[in-house]
Amino acid sequence: MPDDPARPRPIKHSPRTAEEIVFSHPSEQELARVLDFYGIEWQYEPVTFPLEWDENMVVTEAFAPDFYLVQEELFVELTTLRPKLMRVKKRKLARLKELYPKVNVRLWSRNDFERFLQRFGMSDKSQELVGKDAVRQ
Amino acid sequence: MGWPSENILDDIDSIILNDSEIQTRICELAQEISKDYVNKDPILVGVLTGVVPFMADLLKNLSIPMAVDFIAVSQYNADALSGAVRITKDLGMSIEDRHVLFIEDVIDTGLTMNYLLRTLQVRNPASLSICVLFDRPYRRLIDIPLKYQGFELPDEYVVGYGLDANGYYRNLPFVGTLKDEVLAHWG
Repeated sequence: MPDDPARPRPIKHSPRTAEEIVFSHPSEQELARVLDFYGIEWQYEPVTFPLEWDENMVVTEAFAPDFYLVQEELFVELTTLRPKLMRVKKRKLARLKELYPKVNVRLWSRNDFERFLQRFGMSDKSQELVGKDAVRQ
Repeated sequence: MGWPSENILDDIDSIILNDSEIQTRICELAQEISKDYVNKDPILVGVLTGVVPFMADLLKNLSIPMAVDFIAVSQYNADALSGAVRITKDLGMSIEDRHVLFIEDVIDTGLTMNYLLRTLQVRNPASLSICVLFDRPYRRLIDIPLKYQGFELPDEYVVGYGLDANGYYRNLPFVGTLKDEVLAHWG
Protein backbone atom coordinates (compact mmCIF):
# COMPACT_ATOMS: atom_id res chain seq x y z
CA MET A 1 0.00 0.00 0.00
CA PRO A 2 1.34 3.48 -0.81
CA ASP A 3 2.28 5.79 2.01
CA ASP A 4 2.10 9.01 0.07
CA PRO A 5 0.66 11.87 2.17
CA ALA A 6 -0.21 13.74 -1.01
CA ARG A 7 -3.02 11.39 -1.81
CA PRO A 8 -5.78 9.52 0.03
CA ARG A 9 -4.90 6.12 1.38
CA PRO A 10 -6.75 2.90 0.60
CA ILE A 11 -9.67 2.30 2.94
CA LYS A 12 -9.66 -1.08 4.64
CA HIS A 13 -13.11 -2.28 5.61
CA SER A 14 -13.89 -4.43 8.61
CA PRO A 15 -14.23 -8.11 7.73
CA ARG A 16 -17.84 -9.19 7.30
CA THR A 17 -19.36 -12.49 8.22
CA ALA A 18 -20.87 -14.65 5.51
CA GLU A 19 -24.33 -13.59 6.68
CA GLU A 20 -23.46 -9.91 6.38
CA ILE A 21 -22.18 -10.11 2.82
CA VAL A 22 -24.56 -8.99 0.09
CA PHE A 23 -23.12 -9.97 -3.27
CA SER A 24 -23.89 -7.57 -6.07
CA HIS A 25 -24.23 -10.37 -8.61
CA PRO A 26 -25.04 -14.12 -8.55
CA SER A 27 -21.72 -14.87 -10.26
CA GLU A 28 -19.87 -13.48 -7.24
CA GLN A 29 -21.86 -15.71 -4.94
CA GLU A 30 -21.02 -18.73 -7.08
CA LEU A 31 -17.31 -17.90 -7.06
CA ALA A 32 -17.48 -17.52 -3.27
CA ARG A 33 -19.03 -20.99 -3.03
CA VAL A 34 -16.28 -22.48 -5.18
CA LEU A 35 -13.59 -20.83 -3.07
CA ASP A 36 -15.25 -22.15 0.09
CA PHE A 37 -15.45 -25.62 -1.45
CA TYR A 38 -11.69 -25.64 -2.03
CA GLY A 39 -10.89 -24.15 1.35
CA ILE A 40 -9.55 -20.86 0.04
CA GLU A 41 -9.68 -18.00 2.52
CA TRP A 42 -11.27 -14.96 0.91
CA GLN A 43 -12.69 -11.58 1.79
CA TYR A 44 -15.37 -9.64 -0.10
CA GLU A 45 -14.54 -6.08 -1.10
CA PRO A 46 -12.17 -5.59 1.86
CA VAL A 47 -10.39 -2.55 0.45
CA THR A 48 -11.47 0.52 -1.47
CA PHE A 49 -8.69 2.10 -3.49
CA PRO A 50 -9.00 5.84 -4.21
CA LEU A 51 -8.34 6.47 -7.89
CA GLU A 52 -9.10 10.17 -8.28
CA TRP A 53 -9.52 13.00 -5.79
CA ASP A 54 -9.92 16.75 -5.76
CA GLU A 55 -7.70 19.46 -4.30
CA ASN A 56 -9.28 18.91 -0.88
CA MET A 57 -8.34 15.22 -0.99
CA VAL A 58 -11.97 14.28 -1.37
CA VAL A 59 -12.12 11.03 -3.31
CA THR A 60 -14.03 11.43 -6.56
CA GLU A 61 -13.44 7.96 -7.97
CA ALA A 62 -12.58 4.72 -6.22
CA PHE A 63 -12.42 1.03 -6.90
CA ALA A 64 -13.11 -1.92 -4.61
CA PRO A 65 -12.14 -5.25 -6.19
CA ASP A 66 -14.69 -7.96 -5.43
CA PHE A 67 -12.51 -10.59 -3.78
CA TYR A 68 -9.27 -10.78 -1.89
CA LEU A 69 -7.63 -14.20 -1.63
CA VAL A 70 -5.78 -13.91 1.65
CA GLN A 71 -3.04 -16.51 1.25
CA GLU A 72 -2.38 -15.52 -2.33
CA GLU A 73 -2.50 -11.77 -1.59
CA LEU A 74 -4.52 -11.53 -4.78
CA PHE A 75 -7.47 -9.28 -5.56
CA VAL A 76 -9.97 -10.66 -8.08
CA GLU A 77 -12.42 -8.44 -9.90
CA LEU A 78 -15.21 -10.43 -11.47
CA THR A 79 -17.28 -8.78 -14.12
CA THR A 80 -20.04 -10.10 -16.30
CA LEU A 81 -20.20 -6.96 -18.42
CA ARG A 82 -20.23 -7.55 -22.13
CA PRO A 83 -16.82 -6.83 -23.72
CA LYS A 84 -17.93 -3.56 -25.29
CA LEU A 85 -18.96 -2.25 -21.88
CA MET A 86 -15.64 -3.11 -20.26
CA ARG A 87 -13.89 0.13 -21.13
CA VAL A 88 -14.60 1.92 -17.85
CA LYS A 89 -13.69 -1.13 -15.79
CA LYS A 90 -10.40 -1.60 -17.61
CA ARG A 91 -9.56 2.07 -17.23
CA LYS A 92 -10.13 1.82 -13.49
CA LEU A 93 -7.95 -1.25 -13.25
CA ALA A 94 -5.19 0.42 -15.24
CA ARG A 95 -5.36 3.42 -12.90
CA LEU A 96 -5.28 1.14 -9.87
CA LYS A 97 -2.16 -0.61 -11.15
CA GLU A 98 -0.58 2.73 -11.89
CA LEU A 99 -1.21 4.08 -8.39
CA TYR A 100 -0.66 0.84 -6.48
CA PRO A 101 1.87 -1.17 -8.49
CA LYS A 102 2.47 -3.64 -5.65
CA VAL A 103 -1.20 -4.60 -5.49
CA ASN A 104 -1.82 -7.88 -7.27
CA VAL A 105 -5.19 -7.75 -9.00
CA ARG A 106 -6.69 -10.03 -11.61
CA LEU A 107 -9.69 -9.27 -13.79
CA TRP A 108 -12.03 -12.08 -14.60
CA SER A 109 -14.11 -11.13 -17.62
CA ARG A 110 -17.49 -12.46 -18.65
CA ASN A 111 -15.67 -14.89 -20.94
CA ASP A 112 -13.40 -16.01 -18.10
CA PHE A 113 -16.37 -16.74 -15.89
CA GLU A 114 -18.15 -18.65 -18.65
CA ARG A 115 -15.02 -20.78 -19.17
CA PHE A 116 -14.86 -21.26 -15.44
CA LEU A 117 -18.41 -22.57 -15.45
CA GLN A 118 -17.55 -24.89 -18.34
CA ARG A 119 -14.61 -26.19 -16.34
CA PHE A 120 -16.95 -27.26 -13.56
CA GLY A 121 -19.59 -28.61 -15.91
CA MET A 122 -21.95 -25.73 -15.14
CA SER A 123 -22.46 -24.31 -18.61
CA ASP A 124 -26.18 -24.72 -18.16
CA LYS A 125 -25.97 -22.18 -15.35
CA SER A 126 -24.29 -19.61 -17.55
CA GLN A 127 -27.45 -17.68 -18.42
CA GLU A 128 -28.57 -17.69 -14.82
CA LEU A 129 -25.22 -16.56 -13.45
CA VAL A 130 -23.78 -14.42 -16.20
CA GLY A 131 -26.80 -13.09 -18.02
CA LYS A 132 -27.97 -10.74 -15.29
CA ASP A 133 -26.80 -7.20 -14.76
CA ALA A 134 -25.05 -6.49 -11.51
CA VAL A 135 -26.68 -4.43 -8.79
CA ARG A 136 -23.73 -2.10 -9.17
CA GLN A 137 -20.67 -2.10 -11.43
CA MET B 1 -28.42 -34.91 -33.98
CA GLY B 2 -26.77 -36.47 -30.96
CA TRP B 3 -23.26 -35.93 -29.76
CA PRO B 4 -20.66 -37.24 -29.50
CA SER B 5 -20.72 -38.63 -33.04
CA GLU B 6 -20.22 -42.33 -33.61
CA ASN B 7 -16.77 -41.39 -34.89
CA ILE B 8 -15.59 -38.68 -32.51
CA LEU B 9 -13.16 -37.39 -35.13
CA ASP B 10 -16.21 -36.02 -36.92
CA ASP B 11 -16.76 -33.61 -34.02
CA ILE B 12 -13.34 -31.99 -34.27
CA ASP B 13 -12.92 -28.65 -35.97
CA SER B 14 -9.16 -28.17 -35.83
CA ILE B 15 -6.11 -29.74 -34.23
CA ILE B 16 -4.17 -27.54 -31.83
CA LEU B 17 -1.47 -30.05 -30.86
CA ASN B 18 -0.94 -33.17 -32.90
CA ASP B 19 0.06 -36.59 -31.66
CA SER B 20 3.67 -36.19 -32.72
CA GLU B 21 4.11 -32.84 -30.96
CA ILE B 22 2.65 -34.25 -27.76
CA GLN B 23 4.76 -37.41 -27.82
CA THR B 24 7.94 -35.47 -28.53
CA ARG B 25 7.35 -33.15 -25.58
CA ILE B 26 6.50 -36.08 -23.29
CA CYS B 27 9.81 -37.73 -24.22
CA GLU B 28 11.61 -34.52 -23.30
CA LEU B 29 9.79 -34.32 -19.98
CA ALA B 30 10.58 -37.97 -19.25
CA GLN B 31 14.25 -37.37 -19.88
CA GLU B 32 14.27 -34.39 -17.51
CA ILE B 33 12.45 -36.33 -14.82
CA SER B 34 14.71 -39.37 -15.25
CA LYS B 35 17.74 -37.13 -14.79
CA ASP B 36 16.37 -35.16 -11.83
CA TYR B 37 15.06 -38.17 -9.92
CA VAL B 38 17.92 -40.61 -10.43
CA ASN B 39 18.57 -42.55 -7.20
CA LYS B 40 15.49 -40.94 -5.59
CA ASP B 41 13.01 -43.77 -6.08
CA PRO B 42 10.09 -41.35 -6.63
CA ILE B 43 6.36 -41.99 -6.52
CA LEU B 44 4.47 -40.58 -9.48
CA VAL B 45 0.96 -39.64 -8.41
CA GLY B 46 -1.59 -39.17 -11.16
CA VAL B 47 -4.66 -37.05 -10.52
CA LEU B 48 -7.60 -38.84 -12.09
CA THR B 49 -9.19 -38.90 -14.60
CA GLY B 50 -7.76 -36.82 -17.40
CA VAL B 51 -4.17 -37.76 -16.58
CA VAL B 52 -4.51 -41.34 -17.80
CA PRO B 53 -3.13 -40.95 -21.37
CA PHE B 54 -0.35 -38.62 -20.23
CA MET B 55 0.67 -40.90 -17.37
CA ALA B 56 0.74 -43.94 -19.64
CA ASP B 57 2.96 -42.29 -22.24
CA LEU B 58 5.20 -40.65 -19.65
CA LEU B 59 5.83 -43.92 -17.81
CA LYS B 60 6.89 -45.66 -21.01
CA ASN B 61 9.62 -43.08 -21.49
CA LEU B 62 11.04 -42.98 -17.95
CA SER B 63 14.29 -44.85 -17.41
CA ILE B 64 14.44 -44.75 -13.60
CA PRO B 65 12.89 -47.05 -11.00
CA MET B 66 9.77 -45.50 -9.53
CA ALA B 67 6.33 -46.30 -8.20
CA VAL B 68 2.97 -45.18 -9.55
CA ASP B 69 -0.21 -44.34 -7.72
CA PHE B 70 -3.40 -42.43 -8.41
CA ILE B 71 -5.58 -40.06 -6.45
CA ALA B 72 -9.00 -38.55 -7.19
CA VAL B 73 -10.87 -35.65 -5.63
CA SER B 74 -14.48 -34.58 -5.72
CA GLN B 75 -15.43 -31.77 -8.02
CA TYR B 76 -17.46 -28.71 -7.17
CA ASN B 77 -21.11 -29.15 -7.92
CA ALA B 78 -23.25 -26.03 -8.11
CA ASP B 79 -26.32 -27.93 -7.01
CA ALA B 80 -24.71 -28.81 -3.70
CA LEU B 81 -25.44 -25.91 -1.40
CA SER B 82 -22.52 -26.66 0.88
CA GLY B 83 -19.68 -29.08 1.24
CA ALA B 84 -15.97 -29.23 0.74
CA VAL B 85 -13.58 -30.88 -1.62
CA ARG B 86 -12.51 -34.32 -0.49
CA ILE B 87 -10.42 -37.21 -1.70
CA THR B 88 -12.63 -39.79 -3.38
CA LYS B 89 -9.81 -42.23 -4.15
CA ASP B 90 -6.80 -42.05 -1.89
CA LEU B 91 -3.28 -43.25 -2.49
CA GLY B 92 -2.60 -46.90 -1.88
CA MET B 93 0.90 -46.37 -0.53
CA SER B 94 2.57 -44.18 2.05
CA ILE B 95 4.44 -41.17 0.75
CA GLU B 96 6.29 -40.41 3.98
CA ASP B 97 9.95 -39.63 3.23
CA ARG B 98 9.36 -40.37 -0.45
CA HIS B 99 9.89 -38.01 -3.35
CA VAL B 100 6.45 -37.37 -4.83
CA LEU B 101 5.85 -36.04 -8.31
CA PHE B 102 2.27 -35.10 -9.08
CA ILE B 103 1.34 -35.81 -12.68
CA GLU B 104 -1.55 -33.66 -13.98
CA ASP B 105 -3.03 -33.30 -17.42
CA VAL B 106 -4.07 -29.67 -16.98
CA ILE B 107 -3.87 -26.87 -14.44
CA ASP B 108 -6.37 -24.05 -14.73
CA THR B 109 -7.39 -22.11 -11.62
CA GLY B 110 -4.99 -24.10 -9.43
CA LEU B 111 -7.74 -24.82 -6.88
CA THR B 112 -7.61 -28.61 -7.12
CA MET B 113 -3.82 -28.83 -7.08
CA ASN B 114 -3.63 -26.40 -4.19
CA TYR B 115 -5.91 -28.68 -2.20
CA LEU B 116 -3.85 -31.73 -3.09
CA LEU B 117 -0.59 -30.05 -2.17
CA ARG B 118 -1.99 -28.96 1.19
CA THR B 119 -3.43 -32.40 1.84
CA LEU B 120 -0.39 -34.44 0.90
CA GLN B 121 2.15 -32.09 2.45
CA VAL B 122 1.00 -33.14 5.91
CA ARG B 123 1.95 -36.73 5.08
CA ASN B 124 5.60 -35.64 5.21
CA PRO B 125 6.94 -36.53 1.79
CA ALA B 126 10.64 -35.91 1.17
CA SER B 127 9.61 -33.61 -1.65
CA LEU B 128 6.44 -32.69 -3.50
CA SER B 129 6.61 -31.39 -7.06
CA ILE B 130 4.31 -31.04 -10.03
CA CYS B 131 4.51 -32.07 -13.65
CA VAL B 132 1.69 -30.77 -15.83
CA LEU B 133 1.25 -31.43 -19.52
CA PHE B 134 -1.13 -28.57 -20.28
CA ASP B 135 -1.04 -25.24 -18.52
CA ARG B 136 -3.89 -22.76 -18.72
CA PRO B 137 -2.65 -19.76 -16.75
CA TYR B 138 -5.38 -17.36 -17.84
CA ARG B 139 -7.67 -17.85 -14.84
CA ARG B 140 -5.12 -18.86 -12.24
CA LEU B 141 -6.28 -18.02 -8.74
CA ILE B 142 -3.66 -19.93 -6.80
CA ASP B 143 -0.01 -19.68 -7.69
CA ILE B 144 1.18 -23.25 -8.24
CA PRO B 145 4.89 -23.98 -8.65
CA LEU B 146 5.24 -26.14 -11.77
CA LYS B 147 8.50 -28.08 -11.94
CA TYR B 148 7.75 -29.54 -15.36
CA GLN B 149 5.40 -28.09 -17.94
CA GLY B 150 4.51 -29.46 -21.35
CA PHE B 151 2.50 -26.88 -23.24
CA GLU B 152 0.62 -23.68 -22.59
CA LEU B 153 -2.79 -24.12 -24.15
CA PRO B 154 -4.56 -21.31 -25.98
CA ASP B 155 -7.53 -19.83 -24.17
CA GLU B 156 -10.03 -21.91 -26.08
CA TYR B 157 -12.30 -24.82 -25.29
CA VAL B 158 -10.22 -27.80 -26.35
CA VAL B 159 -10.58 -31.56 -25.97
CA GLY B 160 -8.44 -34.62 -26.43
CA TYR B 161 -5.49 -36.35 -24.84
CA GLY B 162 -7.22 -36.44 -21.48
CA LEU B 163 -9.18 -33.21 -21.84
CA ASP B 164 -12.89 -33.79 -21.98
CA ALA B 165 -16.25 -32.29 -22.77
CA ASN B 166 -18.75 -33.79 -20.39
CA GLY B 167 -16.53 -36.85 -20.01
CA TYR B 168 -16.03 -37.48 -23.73
CA TYR B 169 -13.10 -37.05 -26.14
CA ARG B 170 -10.36 -37.89 -23.61
CA ASN B 171 -9.23 -40.75 -25.88
CA LEU B 172 -8.27 -38.55 -28.82
CA PRO B 173 -4.49 -38.76 -29.43
CA PHE B 174 -4.33 -35.02 -30.11
CA VAL B 175 -5.73 -31.79 -28.69
CA GLY B 176 -8.29 -30.01 -30.81
CA THR B 177 -11.25 -27.70 -30.87
CA LEU B 178 -14.82 -28.83 -31.34
CA LYS B 179 -17.03 -27.80 -34.21
CA ASP B 180 -19.36 -24.92 -33.37
CA GLU B 181 -22.48 -27.06 -33.35
CA VAL B 182 -20.82 -29.59 -31.04
CA LEU B 183 -19.46 -26.88 -28.79
CA ALA B 184 -22.93 -25.37 -28.56
CA HIS B 185 -24.14 -28.75 -27.32
CA TRP B 186 -21.32 -29.53 -24.88
CA GLY B 187 -20.03 -26.06 -24.07
